[in-house]
Amino acid sequence: MSEEVLVIDKLTKRYGKLKAVDELSITIEKGNIYGILGPNGSGKTTTLGIVLDAINATSGSFKWFGETPSKAMRKRVSAILETPVFYPYMSAVKNLEIIADIKEASYDQIPDVLKTVDLLARKNSKFRTYSLGMKQRLAIAAALIGNPEVLIFDEPTNGLDPHGIAEIRNLIKKIANEGLTIVLASHLLDEVQKVCTHVVVLEKGKKLFAGKVDEVLGSSILVEIAGPEMDKIEAVLNKSEFVVKVERDDKMFIAELKTGIDSSAINKSLVEQGITISHISLRKKSLENYFLELLAESHDKTS
Amino acid sequence: MIRLLKIEFKKVAYNKTFWILLGLYALILGTIFFGIQSVINEFMIDAGKKAPIPVTKISLYEFPAIWQNLTYVAGYFKIILAIIVIIFITNEYSYRTIRQNIITGLSRWDFLLSKLLMILVISAGATMFLFIIGLILGFTNTPEVTLSMMFVNLTFVFTYFLELFAFMVFALFLGILTKRSGLTIGLLFLYFYIIEKYIYYKLPDGWGDYLPLRSIGNLIDIPNTSLMKIFGLNFRTFVSVQDVIVVFVYSFIFIYLMRLTLKKSDL
Ligand SMILES: Nc1ncnc2c1ncn2[C@@H]1O[C@H](COP(=O)(O)OP(=O)(O)OP(=O)(O)O)[C@@H](O)[C@H]1O
Ligand SMILES: [Mg+2]
Repeated sequence: MSEEVLVIDKLTKRYGKLKAVDELSITIEKGNIYGILGPNGSGKTTTLGIVLDAINATSGSFKWFGETPSKAMRKRVSAILETPVFYPYMSAVKNLEIIADIKEASYDQIPDVLKTVDLLARKNSKFRTYSLGMKQRLAIAAALIGNPEVLIFDEPTNGLDPHGIAEIRNLIKKIANEGLTIVLASHLLDEVQKVCTHVVVLEKGKKLFAGKVDEVLGSSILVEIAGPEMDKIEAVLNKSEFVVKVERDDKMFIAELKTGIDSSAINKSLVEQGITISHISLRKKSLENYFLELLAESHDKTS
Repeated sequence: MIRLLKIEFKKVAYNKTFWILLGLYALILGTIFFGIQSVINEFMIDAGKKAPIPVTKISLYEFPAIWQNLTYVAGYFKIILAIIVIIFITNEYSYRTIRQNIITGLSRWDFLLSKLLMILVISAGATMFLFIIGLILGFTNTPEVTLSMMFVNLTFVFTYFLELFAFMVFALFLGILTKRSGLTIGLLFLYFYIIEKYIYYKLPDGWGDYLPLRSIGNLIDIPNTSLMKIFGLNFRTFVSVQDVIVVFVYSFIFIYLMRLTLKKSDL
């Protein structure tokens, strides 16, 4: 059973001539973790800003939990847009109390959420004195207040070091395990691949792709092949019935195999032709490859 | 409502600037209230030496005249309260906390309402401050106090409350319009002390009294003193209902405009 948490219908946002969001339709279903990908300026933040009532749409509509938006519904959703935002002169606890007041939630939760993000020891320090990583973690703590059903994170790891990124990633995974619906806009494809179940790719405010991460990654196998006689290898690969696509990547070929075919079939046909190979290995298709392909395809179409 | 006030209180309670400015306001007003009589009397004695008719010492602090005297003088310092309001609303923009408040689940109207409630509380607090000092000074300086003497002129105190509220609403409006503290404070001074005065003199007689800040200033007229009588001046010793209505109308207009601005803007 899939339950629709958020349905975005033909949403458009214009800034003068620029269409930051262009007839965008997205459906977010309960319990999934969505990665929203897209190059800089593709409209991720604008889209999230609109569904959070921070930005007015030019046209189109959206529904939370099947109903037209109201502030009661918005209490079931928590979000961090771009940077962590708090009153700099107030302590973490006081800032969280304001969040709790707005969400009409109890203060009892505050120590728990601070503990979750490992800030309990610094709870009385002013927000101004926090490091960037601590600020990001406090933002996540704030998002957890009021037991929201949906969490929206826009670049939660922006500006963090690898250790900080890993920490936030683990936090998000931990939260995800509790069955919440999460929407994560990020540039870190590796991140999205590791955390998300679904992915939506935007470009210039339009949706390029929406689907399951597994489907994107699991549909085909990539094989790296190299040897002393590259020309001959290329000829065989191009003719092979097992191969969908061949690309040259520096000193090796990358062959995308048909579904259900594994690398031994290729190996065998090359050996049969008497071609020596020095390197053959599987390469798991990454979201990054897929993402770049998608963008390249869309550029081909438009140009 | 209570919840919105609670949120607003938390925002100001931990802010040093708020307390410093508020303390400054109380200090200035307190000093002036307690000191103004002797300063004026000194001036009067000087003036009396040159005056053709004898000038008597005045008592600003006698019931019931004290209420108009104090509220009139205090009117000059409402700009400090307006600056507090401006700093607080523009902080919400520069910290981007207004956006986060909305994202967290406050409606835009709730946000505005919380600011208006805060202004209401500040107005009430400042009025209370004046009222208490007025009682102290009145009791110690009126030879024979009767209940009716104490309360007959309390309309001035209520009008003072309206004056503060309306002025701060205007300040809030400027803040929401320009979003930047320095700019807003500059604009307020420019408008208050120059632009509106200029328009006032350009308009046909009488019309200028309907300008927003002018009408707020008109609420409480200059108290008549013996000094003024020397110059044959005579000011209003009551609050005109018409002025009150004009100020109310302006407050509603500004609140409506703020509501519209907030509704339409991207945060
Ligand atoms: N207030 C604004 N005024 C004018 N243009 C804007 C405004 N906000 C965003 N834009 C434009 O809208 C487009 C989408 O911006 P948006 O911030 O949504 O992109 P994004 O996908 O979040 O990018 P990034 O990955 O860099 O965060 C950009 O071209 C941006 O310049
Ligand atoms: Mg963005």
